[in-house]
Amino acid sequence: MFQLSELQHDALVEIFNLGVGRAAAAMSRIVGEEVSMSVPMITFQSRAEVAKALGSAEGRRISAVAQHFEGAFHTEAFLMFPEEKSLEIVRLMVGQSLSLEELSEMEQEAMSEIGNIILNSCMGAFANAAGKELRGSLPTYHAGTGDDILGLSGKEWDGVVLTLKIDFNIERHHIYGYVAFLLDMPALQDLQRYIDDYLARLMG
Amino acid sequence: MTTVLVVDDSKVSRLLSKQYILNRHPDWAIAEAASGEEAIDKLQTVTPDLVLLDLNMPGMGGLAAVEKIQAKCPTAHITLLTANVQDATRDKANALGIGFAEKPITEACIDRIIAVFENE
Amino acid sequence: MQLSLLQGVLKAVRAGIIVFDAEQRIVFWNQWMEQHSQMPAADMQGKSFTDVFPDMVDGRTHVAIRAALENNFASLLSQTLNKAPFPLYANAADVANHVRMQQAVHVMPLEIASLSRHCVVQITDVSMAVSREKKLRELASELESQTLVDGMTGIANRRRFDLHLDDEFRRAKRNTSPLSLIMIDVDYFKDYNDNYGHQHGDQCLVQIAGALSSVLNRSRDLVARYGGEEFTVVLPDTNEDGAMQIAEAMRAEIEGLQIEHAYSGVAKFVTASLGVSTLVPDHMSKTGTLIHAADRALYQAKRSGRNCVVMYSDKKKSE
Repeated sequence: MFQLSELQHDALVEIFNLGVGRAAAAMSRIVGEEVSMSVPMITFQSRAEVAKALGSAEGRRISAVAQHFEGAFHTEAFLMFPEEKSLEIVRLMVGQSLSLEELSEMEQEAMSEIGNIILNSCMGAFANAAGKELRGSLPTYHAGTGDDILGLSGKEWDGVVLTLKIDFNIERHHIYGYVAFLLDMPALQDLQRYIDDYLARLMG
Repeated sequence: MTTVLVVDDSKVSRLLSKQYILNRHPDWAIAEAASGEEAIDKLQTVTPDLVLLDLNMPGMGGLAAVEKIQAKCPTAHITLLTANVQDATRDKANALGIGFAEKPITEACIDRIIAVFENE
Repeated sequence: MQLSLLQGVLKAVRAGIIVFDAEQRIVFWNQWMEQHSQMPAADMQGKSFTDVFPDMVDGRTHVAIRAALENNFASLLSQTLNKAPFPLYANAADVANHVRMQQAVHVMPLEIASLSRHCVVQITDVSMAVSREKKLRELASELESQTLVDGMTGIANRRRFDLHLDDEFRRAKRNTSPLSLIMIDVDYFKDYNDNYGHQHGDQCLVQIAGALSSVLNRSRDLVARYGGEEFTVVLPDTNEDGAMQIAEAMRAEIEGLQIEHAYSGVAKFVTASLGVSTLVPDHMSKTGTLIHAADRALYQAKRSGRNCVVMYSDKKKSE
């Protein structure tokens, strides 16, 4: 499976920590409470492996916010939480909720905005570091198993998923989620090249 | 001679900070630590005048390390670094009597930290 | 497409559309915006975001506009997290009362050849959706308060018990018939929970609820979950002897479940203590008397060594 060098890995983790750190600051302004987010770990896996880790085989349902990025490189990005955790997050951000088993329409919209903030922040941090231009789409909300969500792009696909484990803290609540980027071979090569360019510029 | 202790779990961040500090002051001594625990250890052999402390680290985070560092080196000037700047962060830094700076670590960012340190 | 046709479309569209240029100046402000902001397009042309919306500087909307212009990113501002970012009103009455329209905002970057970057802000009135959700919320909350069933065990909840007891008490008063009450408390339940875990604790209660229900067969008899590990039974038209028989049968059923309990101070299996009271209510009686009596009897049962049934008696028992 694809691997980065230690330094490349370190650079990427730091870039994403920058991204989620800023997203947390933005979310704390919305909710008026202390919010912190970090990326303790990143991995490169196959789509099947990620779906398995998300409990697809057991039918575990996830809430996901999806966005499409293109330009300097091309990726489908997802923010994912187990469905009941997304209920918790919306409740915490909004202050109350319908306490149904699923998110209502308006709550899905709120979740979409949260995904939008986090994904834009992560990709923004990466684009700035790489010195490259990207285009980002509006967020869409989906609920289903990991297989359902990651299979959204439809086609038979043999690329790699860059997965970030997200540690989300709000009002003493501790919630784990994931950000995932679907990367095909060209995108993966682009990613590596941009990280190398970034490191070269830093050391230069 | 001025000694700086750079504490950050990211190697790249430590490299950046070190580089930018040395650009400004090639004669300063830079020590590094990858965690809060390592930083406390380092204090046995190093007495820093300035400490750059990443807020978000696994294990003993930046905040927990502050008090331990202040206990061992009461005169050290400590600055917290974080990408997540919100009121709670500001309040905590003020309560501890330390400064903080916003990531990403750029030359300008380090210059500002040094300026504040030198004006103390 | 002809320019005049396009202009007609933008005039007819039922959503607010603002276009900003790379310097955050307004270059387009459609008719919907005019109508709902009370600010004419002619006044808006060329003005900067910070001039027109000074209160919104550096807020979520401003950040989104900058992200569109600088990074080419699209943003969504949900109504739930951003109630009414722009000063827009549904009608004149709302303007007078300072009631802003509920808005959903989309910010999209515009990349058009031969032009520098622009961004489009689209604003939709979501007041209908908001009031629908409010109604949903009220209905859900009402439903919750009306429920008469204990979610975990499936038997009656305390609310149902209170209502039923009131009904039967009134009936017993009218007919001068005896009404009996049994209060049941699982022995050493905290120790069970602490050692076997809450999931097992819950399962245990579910089994006990089932066992208690199996003893009753009259339509007006009712077993309810009174609290954490407490149950009550209402027995209309039942005298002391009848009530004691049923209580003893219940005690035996629970013991008969043989739910292992290595931490019980009284047996190897889960047991319960039962307190029984009976009353033929007169015009002065209150349900509280019956409940209090059953409670005292339960307390006696605990003191007598648990896993037993005690009938309430006025006379002080000498030990």
